[in-house]
Amino acid sequence: MKPPLTDRQARAEAERCLRCFDAPCTSSCPAHIDIPGFIAMVGSGNLIGAAEVVKSSNALANVCGKICPEEVFCQAVCTRGKQDTPIAIRELHFHATQQEVKRGYSRPRPFTRNGPPVAVIGGGPAGLACAFELAKIGYRIDLYDRAVPGGVPRNSIPAYRLSEEEVRADIDFLSGFVEFRQGDVDRERFAEIEKNHDALYVAVGLALDKALPIPGVEISGVLPVLAFLESARLTPLGAAPGRRVVVVGGGNVSLDAAATAKRLGCQEVVLVYRRGEKEMRVWNSELEEARNQGVQIQFFVNPVEIIGPDRVRGIRCRRTRLSDRQDATGRAIPVEIEGSEFILEADAVIPAIGQVPGADFLDLFERTAQGYLKVDASFSTSRRGVFAGGDLVGGEGTIVQSVGHGKNAALSIHRYLSEGAGA
Amino acid sequence: MIPDDLYPLGNLSCEFLGMQLENPFILAASPCTDDLDMVRRAFASGWAGAVLKTTSVEGNPVNLAYPMMTSLTHEGKLLFGMGNIDLISVHHIDRVEQTIRTLKKEFPGKMVAASIMAGRMEDWQQLVERLERAGADLIECSFSCPQGNIGEDPGKMLAQSVRATETTARWVKEASRRVPVAIKITPHVTDIVEVAQAVKRSGCDALTASNSLQALMGVDLRTFVPSPRLDGKSTYSGLTGPAIKPITLRTIAEIARHVEIPILGTGGASTWSDAVEFMAVGAGVVQFCTAVMHHGFGIIDDLRSGMAHYLHDMGFSTPVQIVGKALPHIVSHDDLPRLTVRSHIEESACIQCEVCYLACRDGGHMAIDRTPGRVPRVNPDRCVGCGLCEQVCPEGCISMKAVV
Repeated sequence: MKPPLTDRQARAEAERCLRCFDAPCTSSCPAHIDIPGFIAMVGSGNLIGAAEVVKSSNALANVCGKICPEEVFCQAVCTRGKQDTPIAIRELHFHATQQEVKRGYSRPRPFTRNGPPVAVIGGGPAGLACAFELAKIGYRIDLYDRAVPGGVPRNSIPAYRLSEEEVRADIDFLSGFVEFRQGDVDRERFAEIEKNHDALYVAVGLALDKALPIPGVEISGVLPVLAFLESARLTPLGAAPGRRVVVVGGGNVSLDAAATAKRLGCQEVVLVYRRGEKEMRVWNSELEEARNQGVQIQFFVNPVEIIGPDRVRGIRCRRTRLSDRQDATGRAIPVEIEGSEFILEADAVIPAIGQVPGADFLDLFERTAQGYLKVDASFSTSRRGVFAGGDLVGGEGTIVQSVGHGKNAALSIHRYLSEGAGA
Repeated sequence: MIPDDLYPLGNLSCEFLGMQLENPFILAASPCTDDLDMVRRAFASGWAGAVLKTTSVEGNPVNLAYPMMTSLTHEGKLLFGMGNIDLISVHHIDRVEQTIRTLKKEFPGKMVAASIMAGRMEDWQQLVERLERAGADLIECSFSCPQGNIGEDPGKMLAQSVRATETTARWVKEASRRVPVAIKITPHVTDIVEVAQAVKRSGCDALTASNSLQALMGVDLRTFVPSPRLDGKSTYSGLTGPAIKPITLRTIAEIARHVEIPILGTGGASTWSDAVEFMAVGAGVVQFCTAVMHHGFGIIDDLRSGMAHYLHDMGFSTPVQIVGKALPHIVSHDDLPRLTVRSHIEESACIQCEVCYLACRDGGHMAIDRTPGRVPRVNPDRCVGCGLCEQVCPEGCISMKAVV
């Protein structure tokens, strides 16, 4: 990974910013950070101001500064990129927020918290962002999470991409404004929370791995990806899951899992994906990192059976080609090529083909066809006074998109409560 | 937008000429201040005051020529210097009076200043009286517009004559009842102190230092027509922007060291740190123009935020505490201490470009030797400590160290 910018590099980079009016970078940032504004501050040497601008818009300022996929949002639309190369926006953002962590946080104005109580269930990016926005307005916030807040950044993003300290920097800052309440939320607890709060925001993310629909998934050595990533974060020097590992999937989580397995010392890590590189829904930086780690990626390969019986010995696969038909996401559906069967030997298989929501109280809500929570444009669910957002409503997205969800929902909740509907 | 909603803005209020200002950042008389809606927007975004674009008596036609703006680009930075051949406002004074009335009603806490320019005594005095009646908080008299000066000696600025400055300054001061009067001077003089003293003697309340510099912005290599090009013709521009900052700093410092008079600093300030420097050499408030014309009124966000954090960091409670801080450090060349210093190259940080070697070889004292590894070595017997190498080092790894 690239070393962080020095002060001099940051100022020189900031000088390149054209400071566009109605800047495309800001419009494309789901958290709507005033990017030309903070970059001008980096350029003038006002790093404290720069960090304040970033944090005013993004409750997960440190996390996003470190791992926001720049090629997707701000930098992809940077006007300067039409002249030569886009401004290194994420690196400037990170420069500003890192300086703040080292120096100590700017002290926000005192908040009056005498508004109605609002509950946020789920301490990931969406929940934290929503909680913080509401706290700023004056609501009293109870934030419920099964563990220490942090969500995906804390639990499943590999530590080599985002350290515990980097996550904690944001959580510590937010803990001053939000009441963190630890513990699982089941149907009973949910009913109690709903009774005691004027509005709710549900952002519990995707807690369950999608099961691989092939025989053999129950065999010892088939590792659920979320648990695998979480334990790897807790013990980065833990034991390798095997000598040869096959990861199944074509998303960022599968790349994280494959790169992590390699880092844990697996000799051979093969990622199989049933479509091609073009169809992968991944960030370039992640793909690069996985390849740099030595992960072999086999495209157009579909697993059909995990070979046991007592423990994983391999995975039977067939080669595929893309058909003319498209699925709901607009991608061509792969079909297996007859007679192309082969076996990849492996000691462990990590299926990473996606996640689905997983909390029993979610049965109380209307769901979409894919199983996500159904919300309207204002993030309102089928239950009155209950709003939802983050991956729970849209599937796996970026952290900054979840922050955007949380901020937008906060506005809806505020509107809902100030119109007297919550009384 | 400055994050007012999350972080409180530090105290930037300061007193100037008896006025309580929310911060020391004022818009200079310029196109930025020629329209009511523009000044409204500026005030709403946090500027503490504005000097409206210069107005004059009725009947003097303002004969503008377009295009009027030129950019001096330096290392890719546009408007490092900006040239303009603009003149005073084309608006009738009735409209300027109305603008002042409206602004004072809508923004009673802001400093609304008028800028005037005239020739005859009665014109100067009539302008002061009318604008004072309209409610202006300050009247700035342009004695120094480098283009299209109106007066007895066209082509020469009023503030280039000590006698004319004093005479005219007395007229305007006489005409004012209570409104403070500032004289905007030019750095194009042999001795700025004489001019400042003349203003002081006249009884006027303040100096605006200084103004744009006369410049020829460049010559087209194919047509030989200088910029700006108006159908094969051009003329001298008024140069503003970062390029003139060091000249303004010197002008303000020189006045502040010798004459006790409040100063509105202007000419080349773009950021909060420039403002700190202007104030450190004696300005009580700082005016901005070119940076706003480029990046809009929104630069006030960084000006306020940057200044507030700077003050906090330095342990100051108000910007007023910066004023004049640099002055005790400025002495004449004769009074400088004579040091024995030598160049010191931090070898571990050197990137082996050998730029310092070349500069010293051809512009210094041939005091830097080459080495096989390209890390230059200072020859202490030849080095006199001029400091050229330190200035040209792209990595900042050269410093001048005292010889013990």
